[in-house]
Amino acid sequence: MMDKLKLGVFELTDCGGCALNMLFLYEKLFDILEFYEITEFHMATSLSEGNHYDVALVTGTVSTQRDLNLLKEARNHSEYLIALGTCATHGSVQASVERPIREKLKAVYGDEGNPMRALDSKPVVEYVAVDFALPGCPYDKNEVYQVLMDIAKGIEPVRKDYPVCLECKLNEYECVLVKKGLPCLGPITYGGCNAVCVRSGLGCIGCRGPLPGEVNPAGEYEILKDLGYDDEYIVRKFKTFARWEP
Amino acid sequence: MIIELREFTRVEGNGKAEIVIEDGEVKDVRLKIIEGPRFFELLTLGRHYYDVPDLEARICAICYLSHSVASVLGIERAFGVEVPEEIALIRELGLIGELLESHALHLYLLVAPDVFGYPDAIRMATKHGELVKEGLALKAFGNRIRVMVGGREIHGINVKPGGFGRYPTVEELERVEKESEALLRLARRAVRLFAQLEPYGAQARHFVATDGYLWGEKLVSDEEGEFHYTERIEERSLVYSFAKQSRYKGEAFFVGALPRLLLKSGMLTPTAKRLFEEHREKLKTGYVSYNNLAQAIELVYSLERANEIAKTLLDRGIEGENVPVEPREGEGIGYVEAPRGVLIHHYRIDGEGKISYSNIITPTALNHAMMETSLLEEAGKLYGEADERAMIGRLEETVRAFDPCISCSVHLVKL
Ligand code: SF4
Ligand code: SF4
Repeated sequence: MMDKLKLGVFELTDCGGCALNMLFLYEKLFDILEFYEITEFHMATSLSEGNHYDVALVTGTVSTQRDLNLLKEARNHSEYLIALGTCATHGSVQASVERPIREKLKAVYGDEGNPMRALDSKPVVEYVAVDFALPGCPYDKNEVYQVLMDIAKGIEPVRKDYPVCLECKLNEYECVLVKKGLPCLGPITYGGCNAVCVRSGLGCIGCRGPLPGEVNPAGEYEILKDLGYDDEYIVRKFKTFARWEP
Repeated sequence: MIIELREFTRVEGNGKAEIVIEDGEVKDVRLKIIEGPRFFELLTLGRHYYDVPDLEARICAICYLSHSVASVLGIERAFGVEVPEEIALIRELGLIGELLESHALHLYLLVAPDVFGYPDAIRMATKHGELVKEGLALKAFGNRIRVMVGGREIHGINVKPGGFGRYPTVEELERVEKESEALLRLARRAVRLFAQLEPYGAQARHFVATDGYLWGEKLVSDEEGEFHYTERIEERSLVYSFAKQSRYKGEAFFVGALPRLLLKSGMLTPTAKRLFEEHREKLKTGYVSYNNLAQAIELVYSLERANEIAKTLLDRGIEGENVPVEPREGEGIGYVEAPRGVLIHHYRIDGEGKISYSNIITPTALNHAMMETSLLEEAGKLYGEADERAMIGRLEETVRAFDPCISCSVHLVKL
């Protein structure tokens, strides 16, 4: 039998969801373990024995010097690095607070400041080259399963490049933007979640980050304006999971 | 001399500790929360209230629903909105799903490897596969409830001020009723297993919880009746940690499963209550390690309570009507029992429905001082007695007993 691939999961600053979501794969995690051996995953194991990873999954934003060191270590010791989750791919919520880091720290921790080295939160992709980026806050766990299986079989995984809207159509969900006038970012957000929030009759809040390319943020902006949402509201909504530059 | 504990494993988030030794004695302990700051209050400031609970959910994945519910409660109180029993029961059901998911994760995947001497549950599974499967079954059930109430396993957006995007269906509730009954056997077995753990860590002297079992209007402690957190709990910044530290009347205190049982055993369901009585003497000692046993008893409580709620909702039928929410200027605090203990969301909202002040205090921040006290006492007992490796192992277990959620703890702000 061929040797198993070495898999490392590295957590930078985040909510833990993208790491936790791996454990939520249940039996599928055991399928993955047919091909991979986990040698670093501090949420799940006390073992830490890797110095080389065939695949490294990195979740979270770079928000401290520790995060940056860990990211570089993961990059330097891995063949294939996946930025996993919107924190890692787009910065997600903590990176969307736009103020100088000193001011933010002062507002939170008071005048004494904080001697630990905090950095302005940024996604992994801004610091290192990644081999694959899988967004989602958190990502859809079937997607990560597929990606890991593809890599194990030597296939380059495919990145989804269609909006959430398409998945609503496929599921035949009623359009909440048109029918209910709810602010829904489905038209300009990376698909791949199977439009799960629209299933609850609610608008997509854009947790998979903005879909580049063909989409039309200006059109979305006009629609929301027509529905009566003010500028500030729309801009904030757009920028919640990524510092979107329209 | 300083003994460094490397970054904790089998806990949520990034933290470590330093044990300061002087003249051959343990002098001090610093619990360092090294997870970067996440600025949630700044994120929500100026936002429209409707979007806030979905963002606050992102504070923590293991207990996202506790955050959305606490946020929704804070917002509703600020507007003077009252929801009918149906909505309250569905929310409670969601919180129970979360308790099951979180406690099962903690007990079976994070603590059980210590009990059996393995580095993790995956490697433990070869010999104790049955047990790991039981844990996963409980966890998966909890998660199904989270999907039903919250919309997704992690970071769903279904819980809204005034109600829900989508309501549970009859079939879903029938399934909850059936499965909760079937799983009870496993939870009772967990109680037997975790009752064997030895006492370690400090003995807590103060306990704090919400006045209802899973949420409340106010807090209660072992010493006095209801109070608002602003009256008795103080927060301060530490130079070595991205989480602030809270004290109750100046002293370390404990929130979580053990405090809940000790303060609110009267509200337990029948079997859970029996089990509590059976282990009462032990639990009453207040050793933080018994938090594990308390969590196991809460698995039983959660299953019984989920069953009751499903039955009640099926009997009454679901109306699925949201309460209209009209923004007005106001202030409100939401108190929820997250799986790890008291969670506080405090907001002021302006006349247009925008957040003008926000303060969030999480269980791990509330327990920070208690964790340091526990490490100090445990290290004091073991230093010079046990070899260093054994001591460090036990200290890690001591931290783990709190089931700390570090990601949650790093974003407190007073504005
Ligand atoms: S992307 Fe979302 S779920 Fe993943 S770690 Fe970041 S905040 Fe958590
Ligand atoms: S519908 Fe939108 S908000 Fe919901 S999971 Fe998909 S991308 Fe995220």
